[in-house]
Amino acid sequence: MSAQAGGALRGGRLLRVVGGLVGLVVLVVLAVLPLLSGTSNATLLTLTLMLTSIGVAVNWNLTGGFTGYVDFGHAVWFGIGAYATAILISLQPNGPQVGWHPVPAIVVGALVAGVLAAAIGRATMRLKGPYFSIAMLGTFVAVREIVRVWSPLTGGGVGLTLPPYLNRQLFYYVELALVVLLVSFTWWLRRTRFGAALVAIREDEIGAETRGIDTTRLKTAIFSFAGLSTGLFGALWAYQNTFVDPDIAFVEVRTIDAVMGTMLGGLGTVAGPVLGAAALYWLREVLWANLLDYHLLTQGVLLIVVVLFVPRGLVGLVDRRGASLAEVWGWKGRRRGGGAADRLTEEGLGDSAAAGPAGGDRDGPAQARAGSEPGSGAQGETAAGGDAETEALS
Amino acid sequence: MFPRCPVGGGPVGAVVSGVRRPVRAFGLLLALATATAACGDSPAEVASVQGAAASVDLGAFDGTVRIGAALSETGKFAVEGKDSRQGYDTWARWVNEDYGGIRIAGGRYAAEIVYYDDESDADTAANLVQRLIDTDEVDFLLGPYSSGLTTGTSAIAEANDVIMVEGNGTSDTMFERGFQNLFLVATVAGDYTRSAIEALAARGAVTAVIAHEDTTFPTAVAVGARRHLEAAGIEVLAIETYPKDIQDVSAIMTKFRNLDPDVFLGGGHYNDAVLFVNAADELGFEPDAMLITVGPSNPRLVDQLDDDVDGVLGPTQWEATMAYEGDWFGSAADYAAYYQRLWGEPPVYQAASATAAALALHLAIESAGSTDTDAVRRALRSLQADTFYGPIAFDERGVNVAKPMGTIQVQDGRILVVAPDAAAVAGLVYPRG
Repeated sequence: MSAQAGGALRGGRLLRVVGGLVGLVVLVVLAVLPLLSGTSNATLLTLTLMLTSIGVAVNWNLTGGFTGYVDFGHAVWFGIGAYATAILISLQPNGPQVGWHPVPAIVVGALVAGVLAAAIGRATMRLKGPYFSIAMLGTFVAVREIVRVWSPLTGGGVGLTLPPYLNRQLFYYVELALVVLLVSFTWWLRRTRFGAALVAIREDEIGAETRGIDTTRLKTAIFSFAGLSTGLFGALWAYQNTFVDPDIAFVEVRTIDAVMGTMLGGLGTVAGPVLGAAALYWLREVLWANLLDYHLLTQGVLLIVVVLFVPRGLVGLVDRRGASLAEVWGWKGRRRGGGAADRLTEEGLGDSAAAGPAGGDRDGPAQARAGSEPGSGAQGETAAGGDAETEALS
Repeated sequence: MFPRCPVGGGPVGAVVSGVRRPVRAFGLLLALATATAACGDSPAEVASVQGAAASVDLGAFDGTVRIGAALSETGKFAVEGKDSRQGYDTWARWVNEDYGGIRIAGGRYAAEIVYYDDESDADTAANLVQRLIDTDEVDFLLGPYSSGLTTGTSAIAEANDVIMVEGNGTSDTMFERGFQNLFLVATVAGDYTRSAIEALAARGAVTAVIAHEDTTFPTAVAVGARRHLEAAGIEVLAIETYPKDIQDVSAIMTKFRNLDPDVFLGGGHYNDAVLFVNAADELGFEPDAMLITVGPSNPRLVDQLDDDVDGVLGPTQWEATMAYEGDWFGSAADYAAYYQRLWGEPPVYQAASATAAALALHLAIESAGSTDTDAVRRALRSLQADTFYGPIAFDERGVNVAKPMGTIQVQDGRILVVAPDAAAVAGLVYPRG
């Protein structure tokens, strides 16, 4: 068993190194792409929208994948960021007369989303499982309606128009930098005690709480950060779209894409939402250009097939240590979370080994051990568990 | 798909638990292979559709004028998107087969329209319009459906200095941005009720109430209506707004009944018209005129409400019965017959507006004698044409101010144009029976 496990781990490391190198090459290509003469604005806009999609999926994964709070209204922060920015920038004949410079307007727009996320998150994150999901869906719909009726500020149903400043290259680089920062943050987060505590909340929130983790504070903090970050993407989007109205800024599809992209890539992994959202976007591009009449149908069928066969996503094909939606919601043999929380509080582990679900692979013998002896097995399991957890971070 | 996630998650997880990893990998590969196999070699090639003009031998022409349009084939605007596309294709078919091509400096040029589906989504529409400009290198753009999508995409056209002519995005705000490349053949939302209000004022109406849905288009219509009512000397007693998909308007109508106005003005979507007419009937609210933004020009409303809808007024961009005529397509009725032959259904005004937008572009290209953007823009600005759709002449904003909005009235179950006088086929009945 140990030799086998060791081989698998070495394979996992190799894969991680290769994956990292491929990622680096892709990043370099993306960085120099706008400088090539053949790159059109259309390509840059496509990539910018893809980066937006990736950014929102990575943010969604922070609460949905890591913390296990599946948010069905995440696009509300996108809309709030977009609207706050639009209100600050716009000079409407019958609307607000603020006229800020875009840079402070975008920053404040994101902050508004973050502050509201902190306020709403404190209330909704007391709910568990599908109840939280539905509460967030309700929040999304309610905020859209508030924006619709608050016409002196938001322009109501007519919306707000922004000056058409369409520098595709600038927005592309800004969003590329944001996504790189965000993914780096997620990668780093998984190696901190904070990140480990978030996973512990997903695995067993009550267990984590009894072990002294202030779950309310931590999950509200990550929820607020995700809200702020998605609000920032919304703020940038508003400026690029040059127009917001309630039905354009608050679209359900943005949440659906984030959920789908993350599930396709792998819930609760660092690379999953990036791969999933990019794959989803690329697939849509290809299908939409080639199957004019059937592209949505094809996309739907394709996603059903992928979710049926690969519930742990693309990353799950090579590393099955992420989570599936059924597990996050505790419908299907949720891993006993004592292991993660135990190690966090009892082992006094360094940041590098603290993260990751206990045992990772539910089907493997390691899982059975972690499950049956959450307390006593912790010490003996740490050496193997540490490696397994590190691998789960990829 | 979204609400189904929680339902599907459990059973899905249960089913796959026994499936081995290679099998899952195979499933994924199979799915990807299916998708890839279904795709052709060149995206643009398949997406580029000449619509009804596809059978034309392009070799018979001296060249091609390439026009791009992102329209909603799917999503919430799918129906109107289809009508708009049929409208554009009607022009393409007519110009290539019947008219013999666009006449530029002694040559004959075929019209080719490159279509994409914007999925009724703002991001997709923006992406596709940018693609039409950069990748497909179209000479001109025709507009999408809806004010929201047109507002976003017209900014891209403006930034890239490509002309966009459109007939189905009528919100006033997009023409207050100082754009030089956006032209609208239809009447702007703010002027939707103008001809009706002027006709009612001439017949002695002095008070009015307004109820409108709080979304982009109905709000723009109501804001304009208020302006025209006040200009015509009609006092506005109350303005009420209501949310999209409202199911009961009796509270609004009770309040209005107590105010006893001469004119009720309201609407947003088709179903609102049904609610207003029924509520007025049930509550005994009997204004001398009911002017409803969307619904009265649709024969379905007459079938559904029978006598109750008699005398109700509604604005219309265009009707086949209008007394308009031009050198291209002939009269409004001729156009309707041509359209009917092509598509097997009568044209709705969205289709006629789309055809008129393409026709205006066509006439400007011929007048300019080239496809140069500056020359065609100048030609559009000085264009003065009488067409099946009504007169077309753009002001400095790019709005067709020559064509007044039509007003119809349901009279004995028939939908008749009653204003403006140039298009009217019957007199306005006021007060309604």
